[in-house]
Amino acid sequence: MENTLKMKKKNGISRLLEISGEKRGLLILSGILSIISTFLMFVPFVATYFIVQELLRNAANPTLSNMDLIRHWGIMAFLSLIGSLLFLYGSTMLSHISAFRVLYNLRIRLAEHLAKLPMGYHTRQSSGAIKKTLELSVEKIEGFIAHQLPDFVGAVALPVVMLAGMFILDWRMALTCAIPILGAYLLQSLVFYGKGGTEAIKQYHNALEQMNAAGVEYVRGMPAVKVFGLTVGSFLNFHNSIVGYRDWAVNYTKFCRRPYIVFITILSSLLAFILPIGILILSGQPENLAFALTLMLFLVLAPGVSSPMMKLMYLGGNMRLISEGVNRIDQIFEQKPLVEPVNPKKPDRYDVKFDNVSFSYENLSEATRTEALSQISFTAKEKEITALVGPSGSGKSTIANLIPRFWDVSSGSIWIGGVDVREIGTEKLMDLVSFVFQDVHLFYDTIEENIRMGHANASHEKVVEAAKAACCHEFIERLPQGYQTKIGEGGTYLSGGEAQRVAIARAILKDSPILVLDEATAFADPENEVKIQEGLSALIKGKTVIIIAHRLSSIREANQILVVDEGHLVESGKHEELLKQNGLYHHMWEAHIDARAWLLSKNRKTMGVV
Amino acid sequence: MIKKFFYNISSGNPKALFMPCFAAFIEGICKIVPAALIFDVINTIYVSFAEPVTPLNTSRLWTTAAILIGWMGVQYAASNFAYSQTFTAAYNASASGRISLADHLRKLSLGFLGSRDPGDLTTMMLGDYTTVETTISHHVPQMVSAIAFPILAFLALAYINLQMAIAMFIALPFSLLIVWLSVGLQSRLGKSHVKAKVDSASRLQEYLLGMREIKAHNLSGVRFQRLQEAFARLRRESIRMEGIIGSVMMVAIAVMRAGLTLMIFMGAFLLAGGELTLPVFLIFLLLGTRVFEPMTMVLVNYAEIRYSVLSAERIMQIRHEQPLSGNQGVPEGNNIEFKNVSFAYENTDVLKDVSFSLPARSITALVGPSGSGKSTITRLIARFWDVGRGTIRLDGQDIKKMDPEKLLFQICMVFQDVYLFKDTIRNNIKVGKMSASQEEIEWAAKQARCHDFIMKLPLGYDTQVGEGGCTLSGGEKQRISIARALLKDAPIVLLDEATSSLDPENENLVQQAINALVENKTVVIIAHRLKTIRGADKIIVLDNGRIVEQGVHEELLRKEGMYNRLWNLQQQSAGWSMKSS
Repeated sequence: MENTLKMKKKNGISRLLEISGEKRGLLILSGILSIISTFLMFVPFVATYFIVQELLRNAANPTLSNMDLIRHWGIMAFLSLIGSLLFLYGSTMLSHISAFRVLYNLRIRLAEHLAKLPMGYHTRQSSGAIKKTLELSVEKIEGFIAHQLPDFVGAVALPVVMLAGMFILDWRMALTCAIPILGAYLLQSLVFYGKGGTEAIKQYHNALEQMNAAGVEYVRGMPAVKVFGLTVGSFLNFHNSIVGYRDWAVNYTKFCRRPYIVFITILSSLLAFILPIGILILSGQPENLAFALTLMLFLVLAPGVSSPMMKLMYLGGNMRLISEGVNRIDQIFEQKPLVEPVNPKKPDRYDVKFDNVSFSYENLSEATRTEALSQISFTAKEKEITALVGPSGSGKSTIANLIPRFWDVSSGSIWIGGVDVREIGTEKLMDLVSFVFQDVHLFYDTIEENIRMGHANASHEKVVEAAKAACCHEFIERLPQGYQTKIGEGGTYLSGGEAQRVAIARAILKDSPILVLDEATAFADPENEVKIQEGLSALIKGKTVIIIAHRLSSIREANQILVVDEGHLVESGKHEELLKQNGLYHHMWEAHIDARAWLLSKNRKTMGVV
Repeated sequence: MIKKFFYNISSGNPKALFMPCFAAFIEGICKIVPAALIFDVINTIYVSFAEPVTPLNTSRLWTTAAILIGWMGVQYAASNFAYSQTFTAAYNASASGRISLADHLRKLSLGFLGSRDPGDLTTMMLGDYTTVETTISHHVPQMVSAIAFPILAFLALAYINLQMAIAMFIALPFSLLIVWLSVGLQSRLGKSHVKAKVDSASRLQEYLLGMREIKAHNLSGVRFQRLQEAFARLRRESIRMEGIIGSVMMVAIAVMRAGLTLMIFMGAFLLAGGELTLPVFLIFLLLGTRVFEPMTMVLVNYAEIRYSVLSAERIMQIRHEQPLSGNQGVPEGNNIEFKNVSFAYENTDVLKDVSFSLPARSITALVGPSGSGKSTITRLIARFWDVGRGTIRLDGQDIKKMDPEKLLFQICMVFQDVYLFKDTIRNNIKVGKMSASQEEIEWAAKQARCHDFIMKLPLGYDTQVGEGGCTLSGGEKQRISIARALLKDAPIVLLDEATSSLDPENENLVQQAINALVENKTVVIIAHRLKTIRGADKIIVLDNGRIVEQGVHEELLRKEGMYNRLWNLQQQSAGWSMKSS
């Protein structure tokens, strides 16, 4: 089943060229140059042959030799060497350019594709894993295209050329040369491409992955390891995986040992095959100068065949690694992007309506809990505040995330001003809705650019105005380069509260009619808390606000409070109404009041907490 | 210099290189023998033509053939020896190197570990070690093996005919000079290449991490452009480096190989003058076509080794990082005293001349704006770093003299960043006390208010946690870390109060869990919400690394200083509620 699927798809290098849209032209040209270079590399041997021939012909009196001829071949040898190097340079340059282009296109296309995928994919996949695929698999590909492909062409071409030349000179000797080479290859492929080889490569990936995973865990968990004085546990795990990898490697080298050494021994002992046959023929006709010359040539040339062939040895294994890398890249490309409407529509009102919305995560096996929504219906009116309230994991964040289509609903629909969000088109939709998330992500860029994200062509004055409204102007002015201070790289990191305020400034600048907001001032220190609240008050003026509320006191004046529990909308109304119902909201409110009154104490009996 | 080089490429164990190199050298020499024998064959054949009176000495040829065939056995043995010395040894060496590096890392201070990017440390232990492994198993032996042939050939040839040998190798120094001169260029290009590489990696990271923001602000274009620029720069730098360094190497190789032609001219000249016999010229010709291949290989391998030195240096840098000193035991008492403590982190003063004392079993709260030095105080108690000046005493003894691991054993830390292992919930709680029974684990889980949510998970206590605890919410992780701390039951508790608000919906539960933890302990708490700590035995107010006020709640309120101001600010924000205009 799996195999038939793979058969239909291209894989390895051809698939790679297909994905990256790179033409074969450069690579073919590179191969041709590599072959020419190989031919030229052969010339010094030919030159030696002619020089030796000339010398042998005048063996009785060397001074009679044609010195011009010898000099001619000497120059030829050098020129062809230079030529060969030039062509080799050209070949590797072309293959490198091609490789870097493939990499570039591959990265760009992957990045483009990733941006089109629903947020669900990004939440599920750790960014580390995607990054690893983009960097590691892609880099392996570089080495392969840039180095091994031209090497391969050369390595195949040279022995072929040499053997062809040998057959022209003397077929018997050529055969003696060819048979051990072919035999060595046969043995090699039997071992490495057989079941054992495939199995070994698979185990290699497993062992390496295990060691990587354990290593990451070991380093990241180190503080815990130290604080709890663990000597076993995670450390043992990493230790085991290192030993496991070593054992695999040692086993694999044991497995390769015999075929590898036999291969090497045969290839570097070609003379031991040629010489006996040569003597046999020569002793039959001791006066034959032509054959004597041929024999000498073979004795000189044969060892030269083996060195390029050594390069072929690693090819098979690397080919497999590349296929694996390409497969992983393909897995990303196989993810389906969000469907965009053909004729985007534009709403002219800004109320948000949920109509019988149900949602569940597609892949249940990957979800660690079944966070889902069932049959949610409500309307968030224009210029009013709608608060989502509920225990953690109740689905209130999911509701907020459905509005900008970070995920698509499973059934039911979401409407903005009477238009289904799926009909609006991502770009327009994002113009309509602003977000302030709990975890703010700032880019490695100037503060000004970070705020300007909200409105790409806003003037500096507008940016400052928004920053003032969000109460971050003051702290920005205090930074070394003010608004031009770069975040991150230069060592300027903002505190959680400051980052929150930058996010609010972004949203103020963006000034879109609908605002989805995660009320989370949890990380802020006391001084910042007041300022964030001021910023938020400026932000929500005159907008359709949907707020994910954690602290009930801050939303008690909301126009509508929706209480969510286990994916269901259980209560809705205003603060006072809900309190009277004596339901979930009522309980949550009491717990909240208790939490606010928390007093840390050594003796729990003095606590006023339930 | 050379010593340091070898020290580095073997990541601190140059002796490990000896056997692989020796074996490779032997293997290299074994490969030369057939070439030498072949010279005798050619000479024998040549003589039969040069001197018509001498018939072809077939028995001599047969003997040589027999030796050649027999030599295959020797070569097999030599390769076998080299194989086990290089591959097997390299894997063993890098495994034990990795383990000892991992061990070393464990001994380094928490402060050091916290200041390094964990991704970077992991790369070092895995990726960089692999590079070193390949150097030891492939590049160094290959280079040694390749170098054996030209050296022996040169010595033999110089013995036979010095002029010819010099002609053949005279270009070599120039070639090496070119390589040597290009080292600076290489490292400059290499550096800007590495920069482009790191740059595109961080752009990519930013792109992936900021995906939600990018989508939300319609920024696929702009951010994407930056990423694209970074990728394009990497492509340009790569091609530039390859093009320039490649051409330099090509020139070096061409110069080196020009020796063959020089040697042919010299030979022809000497032959014509009758100063050279033909068989000798033949030897030079034969070796001349063969000797440059391994020399090219040496140059290529040299470049590879230079590159791997970068990895080895990174490893060595960590190796040279000193673990914290101290080997004494930890005293019984749990009172802590700071005496004139100053501490600077990367040239920035974080604490300035701070003195205070914490009696055993008291609760002390640290209050102040962010960056005032609150968390530094807790981290200094746990010896993440050692103080710059002054002393910290535990029961009257300097903590610098104590074994850092034993000291940590006396301390429970509940901070905002909790790391859970990719293991079951049970084992994650058990981290606090490896010998804990199921009853103890459940007791701790109940005390930490996490038993209920654990029981709701598919497999209860046997549910697997994702890497770093990513399958649990912040508050759930926090409560598990409290359960760990409860099991550990150490007499000193360092605590960040903000941990309770990570999960506002369950704030109450986390608060109860913390109350269970601090019972009868010496507690130092970093406080954010002043209400929580108004009952503390002592409140220390910090600003800019100095203690500005200390005392109990009521005293501090009366002083109308910083504490009073912070308190009022919080009173004001607590009642805030959002309103539509």
